[in-house]
Amino acid sequence: MRIRTTIAVAAIGLALSAPAAFADKLDDIIASGVLRCAVVLDFPPMGSRDANNEPIGFDVDTCNDLAAALGVEPEYVETPFPDRIPALVSGRADVGVASTSDTLERAKTIGFSIPYFAFEMVVLTKEGADIDSYESLKGHKMGSVSGTFEAIRLEGDVDGWADANGSFTPYQTQADVFLALSQGQIDATVVTSTVANAAANSGDFEGFVVGGKAPYDIDYVGLIALREEYGLLNYLDLFVNQQIRTGRYAELYAKWIGSDEPPDLTIPGVYR
Amino acid sequence: MNYTFHWRPAFRALPEMLAGSLVTLQIAVLSMVIGIAIAVLLAVMTGSKSSWLRGIAATWIEVARNTPALFQIYIAYFGLGQIGIHLDSYLALLAGITFNNAGYLAETFRGGLRAVPQTQVRAARSLGFGPVAAFRLIVLPQLFRAVFHPMTNQMVWAILMTSLGVVVGVSTDLTGVTQELNVRTFRTFEYFAIAAVLYYLIAKVVTLGARLIAWRLFRY
Repeated sequence: MRIRTTIAVAAIGLALSAPAAFADKLDDIIASGVLRCAVVLDFPPMGSRDANNEPIGFDVDTCNDLAAALGVEPEYVETPFPDRIPALVSGRADVGVASTSDTLERAKTIGFSIPYFAFEMVVLTKEGADIDSYESLKGHKMGSVSGTFEAIRLEGDVDGWADANGSFTPYQTQADVFLALSQGQIDATVVTSTVANAAANSGDFEGFVVGGKAPYDIDYVGLIALREEYGLLNYLDLFVNQQIRTGRYAELYAKWIGSDEPPDLTIPGVYR
Repeated sequence: MNYTFHWRPAFRALPEMLAGSLVTLQIAVLSMVIGIAIAVLLAVMTGSKSSWLRGIAATWIEVARNTPALFQIYIAYFGLGQIGIHLDSYLALLAGITFNNAGYLAETFRGGLRAVPQTQVRAARSLGFGPVAAFRLIVLPQLFRAVFHPMTNQMVWAILMTSLGVVVGVSTDLTGVTQELNVRTFRTFEYFAIAAVLYYLIAKVVTLGARLIAWRLFRY
C-alpha cells in the first residue's frame, strides 16, 4: 500500500516536473489567427488613411504580406511615433511595421529585424524662407518629430551651430510638424525624401518645397518585436529577405513611392 | 509582463529631469501670478454695471472652465499661428494655463467677494476710505483669506497642466524632458515612473509650502 502511494506520488511529481510546452509569440500569433501590427498613419507614403479612413501605405501592405505569410488576419494598431515601442512592450501589438530606425540605443529595449526599408533625408521648407540647402538652415527656426532619427541629428546640428536665431522644436506627430511649417512657426524641417515629396506634391500644403539633401548617413529601418522573441525575430528576418527575393519589395516601392530604383538594403563590407 | 527594468541608466538622467522639474514649477508659478491678477480683475468685472465688461468676463470664464486645457494650449499655439501670431512653445503653454487659471480663479474670487459683507465697505467709506483703498485694504485681505485653499488647489492643477505643453513642442519641462528620454531610449516605464514621483513631490511640496504661508499670514 505504502509502496503504491510512493509510486503514485513519484509519478505525479515526474509529470509536473516534465518540461512545460513553451509557446512563444510566434505560436501565439498563429494560434490566435490575428497579427496586430503597430503602424504610424501620419507618415505618407509609408502609412496614412485613404478617403474612406482606411489605413493604406507601404507599411500597411507590408503588414498585410506578413499576415498572409503567417496565415492570419492583419489588425492595425495606430501608434504615433513615440508610442511604437510602448505599444509592443505593453502587449497591444505583436510587431511594429512603423519605419523604425535601428539605433543601438533602442536595441537595448526592443528587437530589430534586418532592414526592410532605407530612407534618405531631405530639407523640407516653404517658398520664400530663403533656404536651398542643409547649410542654409543655420540661424532658422526648425522642428521635427520628437525622437526620430532625423530629429536627433537635426537637434544636434542646431546645438552645434549655436546660432542665437536658430532653434529646434520637437513635436509629437508628423501632422503637427507640417501644421507648424505651413503656419510659419518653423521655417524648415528635415524629413525622409519619401515624406517630403508626398507632402510637397499632395497639394494639401501650399508652398512646400524640397530644399536639398541632408548630409546624414542612410536611415535603415527595421521591423520590430519584443527583444526576447527570437522565434518571431527570426521569422521577420526571413520575411524581409523573401520580400526582396520575390520582387514584392520592388513592387510595393513602385506602388507607393516612385518609379526609380528602390534603395539598396545591404551595407557593403559587413555581415547582416 | 515581459519587461526587465533598467534603473541604472534611468537614474543617470535624474539631473536632467530635476532641471525639467524646475521649469515646470516656473511655468506653474508664473501662470498663477498672472492668472490671479487677471482673475481679480474678472471677478470685479462680473459685478460691474457695464454690460460690456460683464460680457467679456462671462465669456472668458465660460470658455476657460468648459473647454479642455489641452485645447486651450493648442489654440494658443496653432490657433494663433493660423492668423499669423507666433508665440513660441513656452509662451503658448504659459498663455494657455494662465487663461485657464484666470477663468477658474475668477469664479472662486467671485464667491470670496460675496463672503465679505458689503456693510464693511460702506463702513470703510463712511470712515473716509476711498473706493480703491477700501477694496485694497478691507476687501482684498479678507478675500484672499477666504479663497486661499481653493487657490492652492488651482496651483497644483497648474503644475499638472504644464505636462500638456509637450503637444505644442515644449521640451524643457518635466514631461518634455521625460518624453525626449523616452523616445530616444524607449525605457518608457522607468522614465514615466520617475516623472510621476517627481510630479507628486512637487505638488506635495507646494501644498505644504502653501499651508505654511497660510499659517503665517492668516492667523487670527
